[in-house]
Formats: sequence, structure tokens, C-alpha cells
Amino acid sequence: MTELNMLEAINECLHAEMARDDRVVVLGEDVARTGGVFRATDGLFEKFGENRIFDMPLAEGAIAGASVGLAIAGLVPVAEMQFLGFAYQAMHQIAGQVARLRYRTQSRFDPAITIRAPFGGGVRTPELHSDSLEGQLANVAGLKIVVPATAADAKGLLASSIRDPDPVVFLEPLRGYRGIRGEVPDGEHLVPLGSARTARPGTDAVVIAWSHQVELACRASDRLSEEGLSIRVLDLRSLVPLDLVAIAEAVDSCGRVVVTEESPQTGGFGGEVVATVVEESFWSLEAPVVRVSGFDVPYPVGMVEDSYVPDEDRIAAAVRRVLEVA
Amino acid sequence: MTRPSDEQRRQMLVDMVSARTQSRRMWNLQRQGQIGTMAPIDGHEAAIVGAVHTLDPSCDWVLPQYREPVALYRYGPEILEHVMLYNIGHPSGGHIPAPIRVLPHQISLATQIPHAVGLAWGLTLQDDPGVVLVFFGDGSSSEGDFYEAGNLAGVLGAPVIFLCVNNQWAISTPTHLQTAAESFAAKAAAFGFPGVQVDGNDVDAVFDAVHTARERALAGQGPTLIEATVYRLGPHTTADDPTRYVPVEDLEAARQRDPIARLRTELEASGLWDDTVHADVEAAAIADIDAAFEKAKSTPLEPDAMLDHCYSQDTQRLARQRAGMLSGLGDQDAGGRIS
Amino acid sequence: MPFVFRLPDIGEGLDEAEIVEWLVQPGDTVARDQALVEVLTDKASSELPSPVAGVVLTLGGAEGDLLHVGDVLIEIQDGSSGEAQAPPTDPARNPDKAPGNAPVASPAIERPASGGRPKASPAIRKLARELGIDLAAVTSTGPGGRITAADLDAAGPESTASPTTPAPPPAVFESSTLGQMTPGRHALRGVRGVIARNMAQSWSEIPHIHTFDELDASLLLDFRTRMQGMGRTVTPLAVALVASARALQRYPLVNACVEDDEILVHERVNLGVAVATEGGLVVPVLEDADRLDVFATTAAVGELAERARSGSLAAADLRGATFTITNYGSLGGRWATPIIPPGQAAIFGMGRIADRPTVVDGAVVVRPVLPFVFGADHRLVDGDLLEAFKRSIINDLTEPLRLLVGA
Repeated sequence: MTELNMLEAINECLHAEMARDDRVVVLGEDVARTGGVFRATDGLFEKFGENRIFDMPLAEGAIAGASVGLAIAGLVPVAEMQFLGFAYQAMHQIAGQVARLRYRTQSRFDPAITIRAPFGGGVRTPELHSDSLEGQLANVAGLKIVVPATAADAKGLLASSIRDPDPVVFLEPLRGYRGIRGEVPDGEHLVPLGSARTARPGTDAVVIAWSHQVELACRASDRLSEEGLSIRVLDLRSLVPLDLVAIAEAVDSCGRVVVTEESPQTGGFGGEVVATVVEESFWSLEAPVVRVSGFDVPYPVGMVEDSYVPDEDRIAAAVRRVLEVA
Repeated sequence: MTRPSDEQRRQMLVDMVSARTQSRRMWNLQRQGQIGTMAPIDGHEAAIVGAVHTLDPSCDWVLPQYREPVALYRYGPEILEHVMLYNIGHPSGGHIPAPIRVLPHQISLATQIPHAVGLAWGLTLQDDPGVVLVFFGDGSSSEGDFYEAGNLAGVLGAPVIFLCVNNQWAISTPTHLQTAAESFAAKAAAFGFPGVQVDGNDVDAVFDAVHTARERALAGQGPTLIEATVYRLGPHTTADDPTRYVPVEDLEAARQRDPIARLRTELEASGLWDDTVHADVEAAAIADIDAAFEKAKSTPLEPDAMLDHCYSQDTQRLARQRAGMLSGLGDQDAGGRIS
Repeated sequence: MPFVFRLPDIGEGLDEAEIVEWLVQPGDTVARDQALVEVLTDKASSELPSPVAGVVLTLGGAEGDLLHVGDVLIEIQDGSSGEAQAPPTDPARNPDKAPGNAPVASPAIERPASGGRPKASPAIRKLARELGIDLAAVTSTGPGGRITAADLDAAGPESTASPTTPAPPPAVFESSTLGQMTPGRHALRGVRGVIARNMAQSWSEIPHIHTFDELDASLLLDFRTRMQGMGRTVTPLAVALVASARALQRYPLVNACVEDDEILVHERVNLGVAVATEGGLVVPVLEDADRLDVFATTAAVGELAERARSGSLAAADLRGATFTITNYGSLGGRWATPIIPPGQAAIFGMGRIADRPTVVDGAVVVRPVLPFVFGADHRLVDGDLLEAFKRSIINDLTEPLRLLVGA
């Protein structure tokens, strides 16, 4: 075990996967010679050279589209969108082509494509750098959406994503790059896709969260435990495939649920979680499900950003509401 | 100039005649309600067949738009079989089996162009031989994907042949409303590699241009953009009425330049073709497409086939949906929890 | 049988076409794909080719007629049977899946049991809470083991929060519904039903005696004022509770009840305190009241009352009273005949303290007077015991300092 932050864990994983499998290639803007604008791909160019990792022209559509061609050629491309908000420039390739290659060709090809992108707020980025698009992407059948919340899971889930024969969008929280540290297993470490984990045990209510919100939900729950409340935090880890069984078990055990996410409320993935809770665990519900999320406006400017992204206080207040205590 | 041999020219005319014959049969099938929308090939035959005959199917890839597949005989009879499966709307229409190096119809215009670049790039990274020939039309060259992919191909020096079949019309939009550039070939200047214009009705000229581009690519000299000029002799698709916008005199003049008539005249003059040969080729083409159509119609379809091949393995949700579909209860999630 | 060619949708969603010109007539021999007719749609004029070779039998309409997609266009005798249609959408089933790697067999979705908790809809859970019913004690008869509304109705007194008390009030208070109900018949159920059953049971089983009196509350109110001046809070109700606890300790037979032909003398002194809330009468229980002094009692009652009014009492709060005080004086009343809750032997009702003319040392003076009533189960409590019990409480209320010296 080694204590790493999320960025270091991601970098370690990329090194290991590129060493393990010659077919893995990395492409994106500024990924090679400068090691990525966040240094996520640091050291890969020096170790693996210009035939394994590529500085691409500033063209997200071509990055995503070329990944399709690379996969057809039998390679395993790990493409980077420098920020998830700029994936909009590649949506026609991501949703119309990457997601459909297997379905259109009835598995003639394995679209073993991973698209990595940082996202999420709280770090005072300019416009479109913090947007949470996972709800929109989850509605594209054929994609998998993976959202690690810990450094260990970042390494384990990224390894599984790269090895997965289906296309995976791997979302990395900006605030977590250096802000989330933890013990990371040395050597090969695989976390399966489609499996949620209990980040924090509890019996009175459950907060369902993903990515950086998991950390905040745990902190809010720790604070509430001083008031005698026992709150469970369920870290989804994958939005697609979604672990229906884990959600059902967590909700059945207490009947009180809070869902928290950064995206705008309308159409956010939180709605999918709430629908799942109602479908799976209706007969266990003690109180209406409470959602915490961003507001129905575009991700805002820095001066008001902190009021937009759900914080510990808003999560704790939501938990109190669902427990019907003052 | 690299000229195809007489045998190659004869074979190319067989392919061209077969393509048009089968395209017309498909047109009729659509008008009979037996298949869905199709794009007729009339006028494009030389540009497609001439290009494909320069390729080596054992290592070169073809990425079509949606008009070309009927003319890709060089890549085997499976292509036609899958065209007919595609036409009847069977899911397996898109599964052209390995090791055939052809991708299925691409409906979203120009999106196959970045795929072609990535594929060519992937081949060179693995030291695999071969080039990638990607077809698209004059209209498609206005899409962002064309520019992004062309630019990337230039930077990479990838072994791609960009073949723009300029048939003068993007449905009802004539080329002078599609671009202000001097030609479509001229756009290669933005990408840093050569752009070449060629008479798309002249099968020899097409063969020569594509052959040259292929040699360049194999020698590591990078991509080429070829603009093959033809005229769309039929409607855009079965859903189009060109009499509303195509000037009659232009169409008549274009008919005089019909690529099949042109090559047929030359081959007849060399004693390589006659009416009997022509009739036999047409009859064989009809027999082939009829057989492919019958085979397509009798291809089994499982009741839950629609759910296959989205992922390599069902997610929990998909498994529920599949169970619901198979149970016939009409409940999408019949694995579920109404209890 | 002739081949029937029906008008197809040739234009991506068209539903009709006009016959412009027939290119064949009945009796003509036609080849496959030979043009039969020219039709006009709103997209274009098109020729429709024959799906089969044969002899034309009948035409489906005249030139100028409008046909809908699916209408018979033409019938052709082709020596075989059937119609030209789109290919069948489900041909013979075949165990071979589609090409390529078929998906791995769907994983069985194992559902764990629902954590051992009772299953009930959110609506039923809310109703159960209002009725003070513990779902874990209810027998479920609904599908999948769900507890239904009927199950709640059938739930016996054992499953209610307390054998004596009506339900806690709803969490959301409505604006005044006091005495409101529409004319006609209504089911006697829910909160009302529970109260009705309890009242009927008590009234029919317990032979009540009531005794009425008044006391001079001057020192009681003075005690409160002087305590306030010292920064301590004491209420008359709290004094009455402590006084009752002392009396119950003195006379245990009053801290008892008749149950199944036996006298059950309770081991603890738990005082039920009736609280009027917007949702109705609620009786939370002050447990082990004999161990609390008057200040602790004041605080505890205050907290119980607050929770009662905000609807946050738990079922446990409403269970186990051995004696009850009802302060109907807070509603303005003077005299009453309160009903003893099942499981108890006596009840103390306090009216409103008000100034009254009284005789002190032969003169008529105005004093704050507290009217009160005691009800008792005459099977256990005779008049002399009741008077003695009463006397103990009156003494404490008349001179609250007695509580501080333990007299």
C-alpha cells in the first residue's frame, strides 16, 4: 500500500497498463510532451515514446473519431478530453459512433476505447471546465460511465476501464486530483465496473453519491454522528452499469435516502437514482427521497460557485430533512 | 500513368454493370415496399469501381458512406448479402464478418472520415501493411469531421486516401452553394497534402489517381485527397424527386457521359464485350441479388435480438429488460419488484 | 390464388397516393419489375414496378383515385400465392444467435431480503405512525408480505403504542378542523376509531366515582413567582405532578388497575400528562415521576409538551402510564368528569385557576382558586381512600414548600 492522491493513482495506473499491454495508446491535447495539463499522463512520453502517446491537434471530434479507427485497427486507445465540457465538441462521435460501433457491427469489433476527462467544481475554473455531463452521457446506450471517488478506486477502476471491451467514459473530479488522498494497493489492482461500495456504514439513512460528492457526504455524516445520527454513504462508482442490487440493499435497510450530485437538477443522473430507488425499494421507504444538486442554470462563475455545488451543509440539511428531525 | 490491364478493365465493367443492375433491382424492391430507403448508384460506378480495383483486399480497408457498398464486389459476395440484410432492416446487416476489410453503411455524413484516419494510423503503429480508402460526397466535405480528420491525417502522415465523389448535388444543393473553394480537391491545401481532381467517369483516370495515391501512402508519403467528378444520374435516394431542381439539359448532357456506356464502347471496340456478355452479366447480377435477398429474408431473428451487442455483456438493467421482453408480459423490467 | 400487391409506403411516412396513369390493363402479361402504374404522392411522381411476373387480373382503382397505403393496388395471377410484403419480421426461430460475440448470459439479479424490515407503502407507514402502531408487530396480509390498511385496522391493542392513549398528532397541522365533518356516514377508524374504542372500553369496564373540590392557589402561584425571581422555572402542573407522585407512593393501591379479575399494582410511577394540540388530545408519559423533583418535572413536561405539539413524539413516549393528569383548565374549563384510561385506577383533572370570593378568617376575600376533580375506579378505591389520596395532593398544592422539605 502507498498513500497517493487521485492524480498519482491515475498516473500509476496508466504507466502499468501501457507496460502490460502494447496495444494501449494514449492520445489527447498536451498529454505527451508536457505530461498533461494536470500531469495525469506525466512520464508516459519519456518511458513509452512517440509511438504510444500522442499530442493531438486541437480537435476533440478527431480525437474521438480517430479512437474509433484505432479500435478497429485492434489497438486500445485511451483518449483524453482536456475537460469534460469540451466533450461537447466531440459528442457526435462519442454518442453517434463510439457508443454504437459494437451495436452497428454486431460485435465485429471490440470498441475498447476509454475516454478520460476531468470534471466537477470548486476550483474556480473558467466556463465549461467544471460542467457535469454524466447525466447526458448516461442516456447514450452503449457507453459505460465510471466515476471514482477515492485514489484506490481511481487506479482500480481505470485499469478495469482500459481492459473493458466496451467504451468507457472515465470521469475524474478536479477537486479530487490533489484533494483526495488515500491508501492505494501496490501492483495490479482491479475494481470491477458496475459495483457500488459502502463508503461509510450507517443505519438511519443513506446518502447516495458519486465522485467528489462522496467525500463531502462522508464529512457531513461524520458531523451528524456527533448528534447521534448514523448515516450510510453509498458510493456508486459506476453510473453505467448501475448496481441496482446495492442501491436496493442500502435503501431497504433504512428507508430514508438522500441523493447528491453536482449537475443541474433537471435531467441529472440523480433523477435516475431516485427512479431506481422507487422502482426497487418502494415498500421500504419511510420518507420521500431528497435530492441535492446544482441549480437549473449553467455552471456559474467563480464568485458564486460555492453556492452552486452541494457542500457538507446542504447535504447534512438534506439528511435531517429525510430523517424528519429539526 | 498507371493503366489497368484489359482484364482489369473488363472485370471493372462487369462490376459496374452488376452494380447498376442490382441498384435498379433495389430501387424496384423499394417501390414495392419490400426494402427501405436506398441510394441508387447510377453515374457513380466508375469512380467507385475504378478506385476499389487498385486495392488489395487482404490488407487495404474501404470505409463507405452509403451509396458505395453495392459496388464493392472486389471484397467478396458477403458484401451484397449484408447490403440486403441491411436493406430489410435486419440487425445483422451491419456485421460484415472478419476478415473482410469493409465497414457497413455510415448514415451520419463524414463521420467515417476520422475513423479512416484513426484506422490508417493504427495500421502504421502496428507496422501492418495497407491503406484506407474512405468515400464521401461533395456535401460531406462541408462537415467539421472532414476538416478535423484531414488536418489530423496531414499531421500524422497516415496512409489514407480521401476519395470525394463529387456528383454535383447534395440532395438539392448544387456545389456552388456548397463551397466557394475553387474545387473540393483544393481543400487539401489546408491539410498539407496533395489534392487531385480526376474525371470520375473515366475508369482509367480514377484507377491511375487512386493507384498513385496508394503507392504514396504505402511509401510513407502520407495521404491524398482525390476529387472524382461525376454526375448523379438518378435521384439522391428513393425519397427524392430531382425533377424539382435538376436542370433537364444538365441531366441530358450528363447522360451522354455515362461511365458504363463509355467503357462498354471501348471494350466492345477491343472485342472484349458484346451484347451477349452484357446480358449475361445483367442476368448473373439479378440472380445474385435475388439469392441474397431470399437469404436475407430467411435469416432468423430472435425475439430479443434488438438487445444484443450493445454491450459485451448485459448490464443489470438490460438483463431485466431482456427478461421483460422475453416474458411477453409487456413490463419492461419484469425481473422486477412489483411485489 | 392471385398475387395481391398493396400500395406500399414509398416515401418515408407517406400514407396515400393518387393513381395518375395505368401502364397495364387486365389481361396484360407483365414481367417482374415491369412498371405497372404511375402514382403521385406529395413528394414525387413515381412508377411502381411489379413484384412478380404474371397476368394482370384486376386494378385497385381508376386514374385519379386516391389510395391509402395498404389498399389493394393490383392483383396479378402469377401461379403462386401470397402477397408482396416486407419480409416477415419473425422467421423461424433459430438457436444460433446473431453473428459476432453473443452477449454473455444475463447475470441472475439476486435480490437480498429487504433488511428484515416490514414492507409497507409510504402511505401506510404514515398512517401507522399517526395511529401509534408499530409495524413490526402487525400481521401482514398484502401481496409480497406487505402491510395493508386493513392490516392496520385489524391490529389489536397490543400493537398500538400504548394501551390507553390515542395516536400522536399528524406531523403537519392543518388549520382548525375542530368539530368539522361533512354530513353523512363516515367510517369510525383511524385516530378517532382508536379513541372511541378506548373510551368505550374504559366507560363500560370501570365503575367511576368522581369527587369535586377547590383549593386556594395563592401560595402555589406565589411559589411560582418567587422561583421565577430566583431564575428557576416551576409550573402549577409540575407541582401537581410531583404531588401526585408522592400520593401514589403513599397509597400504592391507587397506582394500580384491575386486569383479568386481578389487582395489578404497578411497580413504577409513570404519570400520563394530557396535552392539547391542534391535532387532538395527546398523553405523553413522564416515567418514574417519583424520582424527579419539581424543577426536573417542569423541564421534562415542557419538553414532552413541545414534542407533542411539533408532532415528534415516538410511540414509546405514549406507553405505560399508571396515573393520569388532565389539565382541562388550560382549555378554560372548571369542572369535568374525566374518564380513567384503561390500565389505571384514577385520574386527576385540574380546572382553570381563577379569582373567586372565598372566606378566610370569617371575611370574604378574593383568592385565586383552583377547581379540580378526582375520578377513581370504585372496584379498588373507596371513598375514604379517595379522600385521603386527594388530601395528600391538596396539601402539597396548597403549600408547595412541602415538596421541598419532603413533608
